[in-house]
Amino acid sequence: MSKLSFRARALDAAKPLPIYRNGDIPDLNDCVSINRAVPQMPTGMEKEEELEHHLQRAICAQQVFREKKESMVIPVPEAEGNINYYDRLYKGDFRQPKQLIHIQPFGLDSEQPDYDMDSEDETLLNRLNRKMELKPLQFEIMVDRLEKASANQLVTLQEAKLLLNEDDYLLKSVYDYWVRKRKNCRGPSLIPQVKQEKRDGSTNNDAYVAFRRRTEKMQTRKNRKNDEASYEKMLKLRREFSRTVTILEMIKKREKSKRELLHLTLEVVEKRYQLGDFSGDVLSEVSVPLAEKTVYPAPICLPNGNRHKTENKIKSHKSVPKHHPHNVTVKVEPHFDFVRPHKKYTRRPKLETLRPPSRPERPHTVNNADIKQYDFHSSGEEDYLLSPSSEPDEENDPDGAFVFRRRVGCSYLAPLSEQSSSSPVGLAGTNAMWQRNALTALSVPRRCVGVARRRLGRGGRLLLDRSSADLDRALRHLDPGAFCPFVAPSDAFPLNTDTHMDTCTNAHDPAPFRTHPQRSLAQLLTDIQACRWRYFQTRSLHQNQKEESGKKALQEDDRRGGGPIVTSSSRNAVLGGVQCSSSMTGCSLIVENKLVFRNTASLDTVSKTLDSASAQFAASAVVSTSNKESKSHSPAVNGILPNSGSRQTKFSSSGSSSARLSGASSKPLPAVPQSLPHGHGPLSSVSAVSPAHTHHNSARPCAPSPPALKLATIASSLDRVPKVTPASAIDSIGRDKHEPERLALNGIAETTVAMEVT
Amino acid sequence: MTDSSVEIVEGCRLPVLRKNQENEDEWPLAEILSVKDTLGRKLYYVHYVDFNKRLDEWVTPDRLDIKKLQFPKKEAKTPTKNGLPGSRPSSPDRDVVREATLDSFYPTYVHCTNGTTRRILPSQPGRKRKNCGTDEDSQDSSDGIPSAPRMTGSLVSDRSHDDIVTRMKNIDCIELGRHRLKPWYFSPYPQELTSLPVLYLCEFCLKYLKSLKCLQRHLTKCNLRHPPGNEIYRKGTISFFEIDGRKNKTYSQNLCLLAKCFLDHKTLYYDTDPFLFYVMTEYDSKGFHIVGYFSKEKESTEDYNVACILTLPPYQRRGYGKLLIEFSYELSKVEGKTGTPEKPLSDLGLLSYRSYWSQTILEILMELKSDNGERPQITINEISEITSVKKEDVISTLQYLNLINYYKGQYILTLSEDIVEGHERAMQKRHLRIDPKCLHFTPKDWSKRGKW
Repeated sequence: MSKLSFRARALDAAKPLPIYRNGDIPDLNDCVSINRAVPQMPTGMEKEEELEHHLQRAICAQQVFREKKESMVIPVPEAEGNINYYDRLYKGDFRQPKQLIHIQPFGLDSEQPDYDMDSEDETLLNRLNRKMELKPLQFEIMVDRLEKASANQLVTLQEAKLLLNEDDYLLKSVYDYWVRKRKNCRGPSLIPQVKQEKRDGSTNNDAYVAFRRRTEKMQTRKNRKNDEASYEKMLKLRREFSRTVTILEMIKKREKSKRELLHLTLEVVEKRYQLGDFSGDVLSEVSVPLAEKTVYPAPICLPNGNRHKTENKIKSHKSVPKHHPHNVTVKVEPHFDFVRPHKKYTRRPKLETLRPPSRPERPHTVNNADIKQYDFHSSGEEDYLLSPSSEPDEENDPDGAFVFRRRVGCSYLAPLSEQSSSSPVGLAGTNAMWQRNALTALSVPRRCVGVARRRLGRGGRLLLDRSSADLDRALRHLDPGAFCPFVAPSDAFPLNTDTHMDTCTNAHDPAPFRTHPQRSLAQLLTDIQACRWRYFQTRSLHQNQKEESGKKALQEDDRRGGGPIVTSSSRNAVLGGVQCSSSMTGCSLIVENKLVFRNTASLDTVSKTLDSASAQFAASAVVSTSNKESKSHSPAVNGILPNSGSRQTKFSSSGSSSARLSGASSKPLPAVPQSLPHGHGPLSSVSAVSPAHTHHNSARPCAPSPPALKLATIASSLDRVPKVTPASAIDSIGRDKHEPERLALNGIAETTVAMEVT
Repeated sequence: MTDSSVEIVEGCRLPVLRKNQENEDEWPLAEILSVKDTLGRKLYYVHYVDFNKRLDEWVTPDRLDIKKLQFPKKEAKTPTKNGLPGSRPSSPDRDVVREATLDSFYPTYVHCTNGTTRRILPSQPGRKRKNCGTDEDSQDSSDGIPSAPRMTGSLVSDRSHDDIVTRMKNIDCIELGRHRLKPWYFSPYPQELTSLPVLYLCEFCLKYLKSLKCLQRHLTKCNLRHPPGNEIYRKGTISFFEIDGRKNKTYSQNLCLLAKCFLDHKTLYYDTDPFLFYVMTEYDSKGFHIVGYFSKEKESTEDYNVACILTLPPYQRRGYGKLLIEFSYELSKVEGKTGTPEKPLSDLGLLSYRSYWSQTILEILMELKSDNGERPQITINEISEITSVKKEDVISTLQYLNLINYYKGQYILTLSEDIVEGHERAMQKRHLRIDPKCLHFTPKDWSKRGKW
């Protein structure tokens, strides 16, 4: 006891403690007293609980007896005995695998319904099973779905029908039963679930709410104070990026359209060169009626900078419509570079050879105006599709100061279908020009008026624009009777009583053409014309119907490749078209092929751009493509083939001018009406190019055009040497036609990908 | 007994008849926590003073010694109790300031230490409470304490959230595989299931079902025959499965719900994400049957190597608890850390851990051989390192066993004869041991995986 006078040192955990056993324990008395010097460690229990009777008893017992006595254990509520039905409940044996069990993550649930049938359900099931087969699992799935679909409110019967997709009677019975049961149910759901917390904190003290989510603060790192802020920033950034993506998407579309425009412009120039339209007469004539068409919401405003440059650089071309663009074909090529970026060259070496070195790329500025307006600003990376589209451009100049301009906030109705037949809107640029100039004969003073074009005036009047060509006189001498076969039917239509137009709506009827002999020149002419009409008729009509919104046209134009919009109805139309053309020359066939090709092309393109609209289009295109493919081939086999075949072979060389089918078809008759091929020739492939644009477009033709241009040149010069394509990869007509498109397609694909990446 | 002259209400204290372990009659003092009226017969929920809550039960009036009834003394008690909020085993009802008739169901106010006034419903029949769910909600929000429990750990010692609901068992009976279990404490199973005479659990996925028929149906769809985790230990029929509370929420939650029935201090306030669950199973031809489990925080800031630990009642007092504890320390050994169970310990937890610690430490001390004739010695740190038992626990165990003594200016460890004998006897009974060779466990560094 005296030892207490000095303090025991603190227990040092690092200091060795000698161990004394049994006998050699020194002086127990000393030890006991000093033991107090060691601070008592807490038991780790709650104070009140520590004092509980049974625990204390147990502790004492242990201290005393060094082991627990049976009577001294802490009593617990006793569990009842064995469950005798256990083996029936848990059926089957489970063999212990040799290796340790390793579960596959996420491989646990086989999507079984959480709802378990009770005996009440079983009664219902038995009742129902008298009438129909309803397995318990099926029932459980039904209830499970109903339960999970009804969060706050029970699903209605209608919703249930959508949800369950079962037989009506069965569904009704189960649904009614479920509703009843649900209403009697004391819990919030028939599938018992632990009560969830409410975010408003009202359940903070609810004892039945469990497994609350830890607040978000805990999930972010402690050392980053700005976590919340940065999270918000990230969200914002994400939003903005997605907006950017949208903008880029739109730019992409715009650029595609621009590319098309350029391409078309090129074609126009090309064709005009073929035509010898150096005075711009043909062009102006052609472009007049198009003024009515308001396809695009806003008139096209070319960004100044770009245009200036173009204009400055190629003054001579600027005035193409008015002046004599003799040199166009030759000079055009260098100017392509304006719009062509470098990329192009690397991608398409073939074309590159045709072009001089490129100019530096223009800065890519994106602003609202860019998106809304049609400009050439950031043109560039895209390839040219043969499909023309940009009619709006044509509006620019023909009316000069009186150009129709869309006003913001105004809604413009789509053109009526009848009208549209005369003024094809939209995508089918080719149609448009097909329609434009045609060898025309009047029915009342029965005579041929030469190359003319019908259009619908603003007041609904029918106007006939005649184009003066060198061959006019020769044409006028043509026997109008030669047109008889198809004049007659066209006359039947009120619209066309006064004139016989290429746009006659009844051209669906192929009968007159089928019987047509094709010996004489006049007949040949007719044929051509017929073919042209045919082709146009069907296409333009339906396309116009489809194409209510010009905007859409712009966007989709490139994809469609100027081809038909393919929906079921248009498919029929195309079919009709094909049948019509079956009596005609191969050109129609070619057209069809072209269509097909374009469709596939568009399909490819679309598949690369991931927006749903295009995807849908692509899907329809596939359908229609296959459809058309078969269609387009069959007519060729029955009877027309001789014609077309001969013609094709005959003019294959010239026809190879990059798929200008009209060119191909017109080539056969070079001798007599030179103007005829020119009359509609350029139009066939070049659609909506306003004179205004023609000049500058011609100033900067685009990628596919060099070969095309060349071809056209050669063709027009009646050089029939098959070896016209500089790109020697082209060996057949079919290929010829597709080639540029394919290139274009590739271009699109590339572009698209690039855009997606950004 | 239900004399109309005396109203037995919540808060009353009186001797209640109960059988002790020797099946003898006892009349311990008990407190009425709740009264319910079923079919015209009153039932009283009683808490035996100084007995663990797990023994609380519904009793019939004939078990009440109404002659010794003590009414709650509001004036006398309120001030004294005010300083000990939720102190146990006193019931909050004793704090209730009663103003009107005692059987009124009007909300009354309880003064808590934090100065806020908390409104609780005076004990009502549990059923009644259930039906006024909206009231309950508003009640909770009105109390205006935005205090949410701390987000680490799995146990609560602060009982300020204790109310009459959580103080009473709500599940009568649980059927789990071959066994029927009598829950000891409240568990937040879906409220609509609490009135059932038996709650059925799937033995393997622990899903709760309201009827045997449902269980049958469930078993046709549930093909689990072991806890849905990776088996990290197997020796003989004993296996351990590791379950990530984040990856396997359903099972973890079901396990927690079950465990809560037997763990008073366990909190299910928050999700199971930051925990790993180690489920001990015993294999037979039907599958791997759950015997017990312990949970463990993926990252513990306080050296906890066990959060909650439980041997299911049918398996208790057969060495499984010690096996669980031993396994938890084996994991710590692999991790190279010392660990300690999360506090507070329950009575059974304390006994089990003390027993494990004692045996483990004594085992080491007895094994120590004196080299070159000198007295064997060991530091506390060494013991801690060998056993992975946290230093403080080593010291407390040495103290508890009275091994540590101060002699001649230094601390010594004395192994008395009865200690040695007791230990040897105990070790003979301890058949179940963990074999570290059978453990296939690679600790993960959870801190590098983001929080939880």
